[in-house]
Amino acid sequence: MAEFFRSFINLISILAIPLMIIVFIGWGFIKKVRVYEVFVEGAKDGFNTAIRIIPYLVAMLFAIGIFRASGAMEVLVTIIAPVTSLIGMPPESLTMALMRPLSGSGSLGIMTELMKTHGPDSFIGILTSTMYGSSETTFYVLAVYFGAVNIKRTRHAVPVGLIADITGMLAAVFICRILFGN
Amino acid sequence: MLNYIWFFLIAIALIVGVGRDISDEIYNPYRNGIPLEITFISTHVPAGSITRIEGYLYLTAKQFADFYGLNKESTEVRQPVVISFLSNGKGSFLISCSDSTPTKWKEMSKSASAKEQLSGRVEQFEFSDDEGWAKATIVFESIHFVKLKAITQAAIDFAAIAVEISLGLIGVMALWLGLIKIAEEAGLVKLLTRMLAPITKRLFPDVPSDHPAIGAIIMNTAANMLGLGNAATPIGLKAMEELNKLNPKLGTATNAMITFLAINTGGLILIPATAIAVRAAAGSANPGIIIGTSIFGAGCATVAGVLASKILQRLPLYKQEMPTQQKKGETGNG
Repeated sequence: MAEFFRSFINLISILAIPLMIIVFIGWGFIKKVRVYEVFVEGAKDGFNTAIRIIPYLVAMLFAIGIFRASGAMEVLVTIIAPVTSLIGMPPESLTMALMRPLSGSGSLGIMTELMKTHGPDSFIGILTSTMYGSSETTFYVLAVYFGAVNIKRTRHAVPVGLIADITGMLAAVFICRILFGN
Repeated sequence: MLNYIWFFLIAIALIVGVGRDISDEIYNPYRNGIPLEITFISTHVPAGSITRIEGYLYLTAKQFADFYGLNKESTEVRQPVVISFLSNGKGSFLISCSDSTPTKWKEMSKSASAKEQLSGRVEQFEFSDDEGWAKATIVFESIHFVKLKAITQAAIDFAAIAVEISLGLIGVMALWLGLIKIAEEAGLVKLLTRMLAPITKRLFPDVPSDHPAIGAIIMNTAANMLGLGNAATPIGLKAMEELNKLNPKLGTATNAMITFLAINTGGLILIPATAIAVRAAAGSANPGIIIGTSIFGAGCATVAGVLASKILQRLPLYKQEMPTQQKKGETGNG
């Protein structure tokens, strides 16, 4: 059943983009849209959007970059680990939980490292890969999406993102302990 | 809030970095200036006067651990080394780092004067009778300010990465904006928004349910769930631009934008392909076992995010920043 679901979704993922291209352009052609001209008209905004993001992304990635390089993460983990171990979250997974919203490449590195040292089918292995799959790189998304429309005052966006992240991480610990814990 | 978090990240990085470097100066974990006795096993000894010899530097696991005061188990060290002698009998050595280099030395090589290389002085060098091996005393080049150097490097590297990512978006961005423009003109987007209007009306009460923003939001969410990151980001940015057209106070995030980002950062994905690939590469018996748990985790995150966005937008603190919150179908006071 799970295997069927997986191959079904995989198939959709592979077909989705070619299908969208054909349906969009084909439908437009039938509806007598001047497809080539309209495509070019829309596409010309791509450059400006990408350029607008640069200052926002530089600000965000630079701060996250030096945070990672300084080794502050280890310090933070040492401080928070006693609290999170109360709910059965191993300190190794706490590193993952803290890194996930900050950096996609950083959390990918942590996941790969933990798989190597603890094994992918250990509790830590399953928990960290679930955590990785349960969330997005919140701060990257915030920088890129708000950067594209020049938004500097983000109001409650950061608290909302953090609430979502914390919930995702706690939910991952909860479900993994029920299904795979001992 | 972003101001505080941004400042927090930078301040913590610098405080920890400086703190670690000061503690390094006190505890000298890299053993600056302290001579280390090694065994040199030569592989290539040129005839005549010896000015440059190649061979291996050998240390037992215990010697290495004792010298650096490591309590973790280490393995014996065997690294290719080149030694050059000056006329006065003193010399210098050079070790090129490879995968087999001990972690400690790799760390040191990162802030050494030559990247990926370790160098230093040879204080004493005495060949055995058959010239097959030698006892030598070496002192590594002093290592200082490891963390501050790393911070400087990271600041420069990540600034460059940010530009790379942004410029890399230009192509896919143009592609998807072009395709969506056709779909809009052909009336496809309207069709899509009408089908999902019952849901989107509740999630985005401030946005007219047939607005192009809704179409882009639906397509972005679908692309994200299918793991099509290349399509999802451009379409998501398109959604933000459309939402910004309804923004009465440019430069400030609207409620609809934040709800949209809550759905987006929840990261609901049907097949977490990256995590599965890493598990498979690590030799998992069942790499796909995390599909269910991930959907559960991301589902909880998304629901919590959307609820939080709906609740927090009512708080006076956030409400007053968007005083003329747009009513249905209105574009505010511009």
